[in-house]
Amino acid sequence: MDAGDELNEYLHGDSALSRQYRGESAPEPPHALDRAVLRAARGTAVKSPRLAPLAFAASVLLSLAMVAAVILSPASTKRNGDAPHVTRVRLYSEPGDTRRPSEWLAEIAALRRSGRLREAAVEMQRFHSIYPHYIVPSDE
Amino acid sequence: MAFLDEDMGLMLRYRDGDADAFAALYSRHKGPLYRYLLRHVRNAGAASDLFQEVWSRLIAARARYEPRAKFATFLFQIAHNCAMDFFRSHANSQRSLHGNDADAQLSAAEAPEDERPDRIAEFAEQRSALLAAVDALPREQREAFLLHEESGLTIEDIARVTDVPVETAKSRLRYAVRKLKNSLATGAAAERLPLRARAI
Repeated sequence: MDAGDELNEYLHGDSALSRQYRGESAPEPPHALDRAVLRAARGTAVKSPRLAPLAFAASVLLSLAMVAAVILSPASTKRNGDAPHVTRVRLYSEPGDTRRPSEWLAEIAALRRSGRLREAAVEMQRFHSIYPHYIVPSDE
Repeated sequence: MAFLDEDMGLMLRYRDGDADAFAALYSRHKGPLYRYLLRHVRNAGAASDLFQEVWSRLIAARARYEPRAKFATFLFQIAHNCAMDFFRSHANSQRSLHGNDADAQLSAAEAPEDERPDRIAEFAEQRSALLAAVDALPREQREAFLLHEESGLTIEDIARVTDVPVETAKSRLRYAVRKLKNSLATGAAAERLPLRARAI
């Protein structure tokens, strides 16, 4: 069969190839994803789009305030010699950081579980700065 | 056409604050979008991340939505961009991981993670012959096939989503269809061979 005919037959619709593909398993997204997406959509839908610039400005101000609080807090101005223990720190905000959101959130959850709440909060701020539109499930 | 108009109408209603309209849109498109991502990037974790990212971008862009094209074209254009970002960042991370090791760098450049035969085999291990053949297609051909099968996009839509000329999209889909048919025909022929002949 000519290549053009073959493609036309396929595009026409009910080809054997399409039928076979449609007969394959059809995985759906996990329910947790459904819930997170729908929650995010409802969260934004109730707000008027006209308030969006105001909300954006507020979130930027809040982010700046939190970063300033972390940088200027007494704990962060201590010299290295004052540190009671050595903590492994990764430069998460460096441009080469290409962790996927799910991996990053898992690390943040691990920080929380180990009681390192402050580090977890800072990490979550960084996460939001890299993935501003990512929908974080409420249990994270 | 009625379905098309309905999708665009739902998106316009969502733009104006109707969350139920979004739920209806989501219900219609979540499966095709998820399978497109899953079978395109061939990594379940990444597919879930990208799935969220696509909807997040759509939600973020709702106030600017104008019905200039089919809703599916709009949605899958976002998905294509997210997938391309994934492939680019994956390639970059592979390069930075291998650092100065010239051999490893060469190897990574020749075979990106998602194109490595061992990864393809691993992903295809529990798949049917057809899905394994889809996995083995070159990325652009695989995407053209999935866009048509999962969302019913025409060649013109596929060209628009992937930002290539129509002839390029047509050529990609033609090659994909031909390769898939050949793979299946070869597999079927092998199945028909007597066991003794296959052992030889």
